[in-house]
Amino acid sequence: MKNPLFKRIPKEIIADWRKYLVIAVFMVVMIGVVSGMYVGHDSMLSAVKEGRNRLHIEDGSFELSKLADQELLTAIASGEKADLRQYFIDQGIEKADQKVAEQLEKELTRNVKKTLKEEVTEQCHTYGITDQQLIQQQVEKAIQEHLEEALKQAKTSKQFKKTEARVYEKAHKEVLKEVDKQWDKIEKQYHLEEADFAPVAVKIYEHFYREEKEDNNQDGKKDANLRLYQSDSWIDQASFNKGRAPKSTNEIAIDRMHADNVGVGIGDHILVGGKEFEIVGLLSYVNYTTLHESNTDFMFDAFGFDVGMVTPDAFAKMHSRVHYSYAFKYQQQPVTKIEKATASDNFMKALITQSLVGENEVKDYLPEYLRQASNFATSDIEGDTAGTGIMCYILIGVIAFIFAITISNTIDKEAAIIGTLRASGYSKGEMIVHYMAMPVIVTMIGALLGNIFGYTVFRDVAVDLYYNSYSLPTCYSVWSKIALVKTTVIPLLLMFFINLFVITKKLQFSPLRFLRHDFVKAKNTKARPLPKWSFMRRFRLRVLFQNMPNYVLLVFGVIFVELMLCFAFGLPDSLTHYGENAKNMVFADYQYMLMGSQDEEGHTIKTNEKTAEAFCSKKLMYPKNATVLEPGMGSGGDEGVTVYGIVDDSQYMKLPNDDKTEGVYLSSAYRDKFGIKIGDTIRLHEEYENKSYHFTVTGFVSYDGGIAVFMHKKYFHKIFETEQESFTGYFSRKEIKDIDEKYIATVLTVEDIEKITVQLIHSMGGAVDVFKYALIILSAALIYLLAKIIIERNEHAISLVKILGFKNREIAALYIVPTAMVVVVFSIISFGIGYSLMVWIFKVFILQMDGYFAFYMKPFSMVLSVVYLLIGYVFVSVLDFMRIKKIPMDVALKNMD
Amino acid sequence: MQNDFLEIKDLKKCFGNGEAKQEVLRGMNFTVKKGEFCVLLGPSGSGKSTLLNIIGGIDTPDSGFVSIAGDKLEDMNEKQLTIYRRKHLGYVFQMYNLIPNLNVKENIEVGAYLSDHPLDVEEVLTTLGLQEHKYKYPNQLSGGQQQRVSIGRAVVKNPDILMCDEPTGALDYKTSKEILSLIEECNKKYGSTIIMVTHNEAIRFMADHVVRLRDGVVRHNERNETKIPAVELEW
Repeated sequence: MKNPLFKRIPKEIIADWRKYLVIAVFMVVMIGVVSGMYVGHDSMLSAVKEGRNRLHIEDGSFELSKLADQELLTAIASGEKADLRQYFIDQGIEKADQKVAEQLEKELTRNVKKTLKEEVTEQCHTYGITDQQLIQQQVEKAIQEHLEEALKQAKTSKQFKKTEARVYEKAHKEVLKEVDKQWDKIEKQYHLEEADFAPVAVKIYEHFYREEKEDNNQDGKKDANLRLYQSDSWIDQASFNKGRAPKSTNEIAIDRMHADNVGVGIGDHILVGGKEFEIVGLLSYVNYTTLHESNTDFMFDAFGFDVGMVTPDAFAKMHSRVHYSYAFKYQQQPVTKIEKATASDNFMKALITQSLVGENEVKDYLPEYLRQASNFATSDIEGDTAGTGIMCYILIGVIAFIFAITISNTIDKEAAIIGTLRASGYSKGEMIVHYMAMPVIVTMIGALLGNIFGYTVFRDVAVDLYYNSYSLPTCYSVWSKIALVKTTVIPLLLMFFINLFVITKKLQFSPLRFLRHDFVKAKNTKARPLPKWSFMRRFRLRVLFQNMPNYVLLVFGVIFVELMLCFAFGLPDSLTHYGENAKNMVFADYQYMLMGSQDEEGHTIKTNEKTAEAFCSKKLMYPKNATVLEPGMGSGGDEGVTVYGIVDDSQYMKLPNDDKTEGVYLSSAYRDKFGIKIGDTIRLHEEYENKSYHFTVTGFVSYDGGIAVFMHKKYFHKIFETEQESFTGYFSRKEIKDIDEKYIATVLTVEDIEKITVQLIHSMGGAVDVFKYALIILSAALIYLLAKIIIERNEHAISLVKILGFKNREIAALYIVPTAMVVVVFSIISFGIGYSLMVWIFKVFILQMDGYFAFYMKPFSMVLSVVYLLIGYVFVSVLDFMRIKKIPMDVALKNMD
Repeated sequence: MQNDFLEIKDLKKCFGNGEAKQEVLRGMNFTVKKGEFCVLLGPSGSGKSTLLNIIGGIDTPDSGFVSIAGDKLEDMNEKQLTIYRRKHLGYVFQMYNLIPNLNVKENIEVGAYLSDHPLDVEEVLTTLGLQEHKYKYPNQLSGGQQQRVSIGRAVVKNPDILMCDEPTGALDYKTSKEILSLIEECNKKYGSTIIMVTHNEAIRFMADHVVRLRDGVVRHNERNETKIPAVELEW
């Protein structure tokens, strides 16, 4: 037989449906949001990972100056380095042979002519001809008639052959001598001297493209640069978010995110290279999850750059230059980053040498693991989203306490029944199970519905956040183990143990004590003495003392409400604040990163810009032990750290002067994000090498723009074993105009930082507003629940004072005013606690992501968060007053039944 | 008559301490036979409810013991006492203590659930005259009807002993007689030993065994040779 007590549960839910509805909505929304975040995150990563295989992402690509023949491609694909020495020798010999042949011909002709002249002159003298003019005529005639024959004969002579052999031999020796002389330089230039080279065989795919002007509104002005590929490519394929691939010559498919940004869609007509195309598909190329036009771009540009696909016929009919780009895949896939770096280095040597030997030239080379356009987005979303659950757990904790207090009140009310049941033989365990059932069932329903919404509605919200930022493939929900644990197992455990603790404590009394309603441990405790106030004030104070546990819960609830309101107001504030302070995020208006500190001739790259100041920098990684999608992809879960070498007495970054040699200073963002203290040792490692460095932190510098380490330039050179004169780039207050662009790798300006903010607001803006209002509504609902508990707890007493003749207004003064006092007094204290909690939660959240972003709230928002709470409470107290009015007088008269 | 089923020996119980110490039971001795209808009679403060609670295993004596079918309650731990109550006892209180959101039938099922060999719920409903009310909630019933349900919840377990603590204390004369008749019928029909605490002198006439208490001791312990049916009682 089933325990008949369980039949109470559905009845209790129906009887108090408003309360359970609010709780259920809370749980469903919070669990749904968290579940959606995890499922969206996992689904997106899974789609990216699956897409990389399905859409055949390249392992790298290179561009040649002209179309490569099959022989060259086969040679490159072999991964073997070309015999460059032999190539140079062959080239030298060929040139030398040509020169020698020319010289021999010239010399022989001269000698033959001379001989012919001598012979003709001698014959003329023999015939007595002395007229020099006539002799000259005879000589020229003889040369004209016999030179060719004479040369032929001369070339067959032994002497000539001997001379010819000797000269060639000498020339060849000279060539060898010269190649030997130059070889060291060549070896260094092409890194051929490294002994650990191992050939890396690849398969090469043609992946030609054209760069066209895109005109979206057909006004004759360029709106974006469009990189156009052919639709029949096997490598680097696209996933279609909407529509299809082009089939006819006037059809085109373009990047989905670019189309969203510029406001075009399927069916629209755009001009590409002056030709009209109809958009038939919105796609996401597997190697363009972010629209980085160039790999050296600091930030992608989904407005001014686009990628597209046309049919091979349409491609052939375009007029712009074809870029002979080839993509490749390794025959044997390297797995780790270090393996990828090694394979890429080796392949590059083969590529350069073979291209040179094959009479071609490498214009560009980029291994996929360094490709911003295919790794930037993955790095951003791959990190674990541990911070997401914190808010959920705090809320479940608050709801668990609401349940616990409600049940505690019910136990008080039902004491006689419990006593009777216990006296009749029901065990304490059975009673605990009975009272535990409700919170556990409600949590299970909340988790079930929450997960259903998580996998459907909220997943899409999370996925849309990603889609608003990146060009990602279409994704399908995947089963997320971590979502199940964090949205179902942990909430259930929280609910279970908090209620188990409270209910077990409450049911510890003997059946007899339940029958007697005897729950006070020390019977002879005297009533708390009160000052000689008016009766109503003392009565009110008694109500306050009597309901202390409920008020403690109310305070916890108010803290949670403030936490939610801080989040609601603080998130948009933080985004705006970041944008407004973009200027402070860079310590120089212009930060130029150069390709190297020397130009092609080996001279130091200098500038006449007076505000320019050289600096050194290097990117290292700080281990975070975060989970990653797959080894070697994205940032590997570690935090990228920029290490700067700053000149003494720098005008851009003041480092303390007391230690000009070996001090290491961390940016304030680094300190705040990881909680590092002076004297701590940090270990930074190279991203693509097995090499790490240990630094003891000397101090900090105020810089929130990034995770950075600063040291004096001399120390930088010492640590990284670089030459004292070398540097990485220039800081400058003004634009540097006298450095050739080919030597500049990247330029970082305030506008770039502002671009990031614009992108961030574009990505998160809508969701932040929805979240804000949802949190405000949830806050009001929570206050409603907490206040309801207090009135319910005092229903009997309220009914009694009604019988005694108290008016509703007086009763409100007794039972609502103490609650109002608690809410008002604790609203400000709770704001402080809620704000501190929010800062901490934000920090945990940011820890999982790259870079640093501090939580910020405007003073006005701080005031608003308290005001909203109080406004919310005013509405709730009106509801409370109505509830008091509805309490019938017979509650106090009738017995428990 | 049967052998002694319940034995109360030198039972003592105090409440409070120091000057406030009050001896409620001061060495109580008597026995009850199986199937007997035993009434514990006495004025307020005579210790009858405390005695009932100790017999019921929900309170403990300071000294002496209670033995049921040879098993001493003092030798039982809390778990064994719970099983003892579950298997052998049924409780009826002055306040009915019904579960408000379970209907009549379900409240009776709450008792049936505890027993290994419960009576048929429908039969109990019929016996107690509750068939037409079985789907009503407690707040839809009169006090007498609620006490019937309370008796039903105790009887359906088919307990060895039915403990009744002032079952008519909150009822009017007529309803009290009805309830007493029902308890009498349960005693006859199901053979339960009944121990009833009351201060109503008239009820002693319907009992097999009357134990009169005063100031924590047994003043009179007598067998009633001429029982009067409950319906004939007058007070």
